[in-house]
Amino acid sequence: MTDCGCEKAKAELEEYLHNELAKADAADIAEHMAHCEDCTREAHVGTVLTQAVQRACRETAPSDLRDQVLARLREVQSTH
Amino acid sequence: MSVVLDRPSVNTPVIHEAGKVSFALMSNSKDDTTAPADIETAEAEPEARAVDVRSLFEEQAIPFMDQLYAAGLRMTRNPADAADLVQETFVKAFAAFGQFQQGTNLKAWLYRILTNTFINNYRKKQRDPYQGTIDELEDWQLGGAESVTQGRSTRSAEAEAIDHLPDSAVKDALQAIPEDFRMAVYFADVEGFSYQEIADIMKSPVGTVMSRLHRGRRMLRDLLSEYALERGINTSGTRANQPATTGSKKK
Ligand SMILES: [Zn+2]
Repeated sequence: MTDCGCEKAKAELEEYLHNELAKADAADIAEHMAHCEDCTREAHVGTVLTQAVQRACRETAPSDLRDQVLARLREVQSTH
Repeated sequence: MSVVLDRPSVNTPVIHEAGKVSFALMSNSKDDTTAPADIETAEAEPEARAVDVRSLFEEQAIPFMDQLYAAGLRMTRNPADAADLVQETFVKAFAAFGQFQQGTNLKAWLYRILTNTFINNYRKKQRDPYQGTIDELEDWQLGGAESVTQGRSTRSAEAEAIDHLPDSAVKDALQAIPEDFRMAVYFADVEGFSYQEIADIMKSPVGTVMSRLHRGRRMLRDLLSEYALERGINTSGTRANQPATTGSKKK
């Protein structure tokens, strides 16, 4: 079996997923993906991983933190 | 006007209001200015300018508080330290705000201050012994950097399993990987910073950032797949010792 772009796609997958590739390279990978189920699945795992991290890292700062910070800024400014 | 400013407000101060107040003040002393955030108005009297700088800072920087707090939590691993870290970051950023170039990336600038503050104030007391040389370690020394899972049916099941994991499992996995890897993943995947921006924030070469990100994500993926497996969430149609009875494929 000859390599039909899988090697390149796998090697550059992370950069592809993070939008770090030059347009032409990204287009090559995208085109390969369109025909390669295996690489598409691999990319899907990467995307799902990113989404899982995004979901888990959503936080809201404690409500009193905002007031404390604003008070500190006022304080800092008045000492100048 | 200044009476309004000095009066302690009963409600939580709102950025928008601060902006309006300073706008009203500016337009009293000078000609009409278009927007409260317009820094060109900063040539007025010193107090007016001071109020204006603060309201500009409040308007532009304070909205990043939730994000900085989230990053702080990943760094310090506890809410009290994260809150202190964020507060310290804003105080420093405010003091240095004059050096910030309007129009450049404020978020990245704030994250740089957050990261520096963390390294200087917090990292020392919680450093694990091999942090710092972590980039030189081989994958096998870090454990689990080789893909455990191979094959196509496995991979779609793996994606499905990761997708259904509780946030707590993902957080635990993040906490389990080395700090520099964790933060590279955080900056890239949560904040969407470019490799170059991450390199600036972490003061590391782009190649190092790339390697941390790849290895961090690989470790995370393996930890999560492992977790899913332990909890009986099917990731492994192809695993020899695992009868393929669970999962969505019902016969
Ligand atoms: Zn392929």
